[in-house]
Amino acid sequence: MRVVIAEDNLLLREGLVALLRERGIEVVAQAEDGEGLLRIAAGHKPDLAIVDVRLPPSFTDEGVRAAIEARRRDPRLAILILSQYVEPVYTSELLASGDGGIGYLLKERVGEVRTFVEALERVADGGTALDREVVAELVRARHAGDSGGIAGLTPREREALALMAEGKTNAAIARAMVVTPGAVEKHVSNIFSKLDLPATDDDHRRVLAVLAFLGAGDG
Amino acid sequence: MQAAELRRIERDLHDGAQARLVALSMQLGRAEERLEDQPEVAELVRAARGEAGAAIKELRDLARGIAPPVLADRGLVAAVESLGQRSAVPVTVEAKIERRLPPVVETAAYFVVAEALTNVAKHAPSASARVVLTERDDRLLVEVADDGPGGASACRRRRPRGRRRLDRASPGCATASRRSTASCASPRRRASGPPCGRSCHVDDH
Repeated sequence: MRVVIAEDNLLLREGLVALLRERGIEVVAQAEDGEGLLRIAAGHKPDLAIVDVRLPPSFTDEGVRAAIEARRRDPRLAILILSQYVEPVYTSELLASGDGGIGYLLKERVGEVRTFVEALERVADGGTALDREVVAELVRARHAGDSGGIAGLTPREREALALMAEGKTNAAIARAMVVTPGAVEKHVSNIFSKLDLPATDDDHRRVLAVLAFLGAGDG
Repeated sequence: MQAAELRRIERDLHDGAQARLVALSMQLGRAEERLEDQPEVAELVRAARGEAGAAIKELRDLARGIAPPVLADRGLVAAVESLGQRSAVPVTVEAKIERRLPPVVETAAYFVVAEALTNVAKHAPSASARVVLTERDDRLLVEVADDGPGGASACRRRRPRGRRRLDRASPGCATASRRSTASCASPRRRASGPPCGRSCHVDDH
């Protein structure tokens, strides 16, 4: 996996590079701002870009905007956003920017090294990795008043879908829900059919289910 | 305290203490990885990382409470849309604002909407809410309405059936609580409205 990093804070950038190197992941280039990200993404053709939300010069959401632009130029580029705060608006925009290959994690999750590296691999592979805080907030919000297919899900199916949004595999969902893998498969297949998702490969349907769940298409 | 100053504090926290704690958490994670053969020490390091994580979360909650990052980053409309997404009731947002407003106005309006939506979720959990933000003659009109049934008796008489103020805890309705929120932001900002109206004006002058 070839990775680029856009992070303006030197301490965090160096920490991240060292951590990834220890896990055998190659950081091929680094940038300090949005323009820099676009430059290294074009020059190095990485598999994945790890991007801080706040970058110079505006120190607002420069990173999100640059990441979406980088992906527009190269749709196969996977994006993992790291942020110090959760923001559903950004998550929705990122998810709407393409078909999977998107992650949004709080920066402190990097310290959970194994889980973090698994999330990187999943995102680079076209999957999703959403921070559990983002998911928890959206689940809470969506619980009460929902429309469309999501409203037809049972509480257990909804729980399975929330875990899917974090990027968990069926086996991991089974462990988290304390049920058998067979029960999870049943939930997942119910979710697919209730959301009326086309019968393509499973990974793609998982992404579509998560998109429906997060309402990414609503803007 | 001025809203701009609160935003500066939020930025300082973000780039200073929060970033240092994140770096600390990364280093502890790396240390933990090298301690596989010493599980007791690894456990200590994991606990230390947990403490760092708790401190980061406390700072994040504090920062959001004083100056929500999305408000500073994207402005009022995006921040209100974000509130809508986080709300326990469905919220539609209509905004006719083309420019960034002064921080003091954005902050006051944001907290007015946040409080109103909290009230809808609390008192009319099965309702949906509508937020309208309009800028007219240097004045920002913030209107929050819901379609829930009934309301507090203090305000009900003055409302057409099915329409109601969002704040109905006291005879003064929302105005009192809105004033208190607003006065935190700036002594120059004025929140006004009829006692049981459904709108709040936040002026910038």
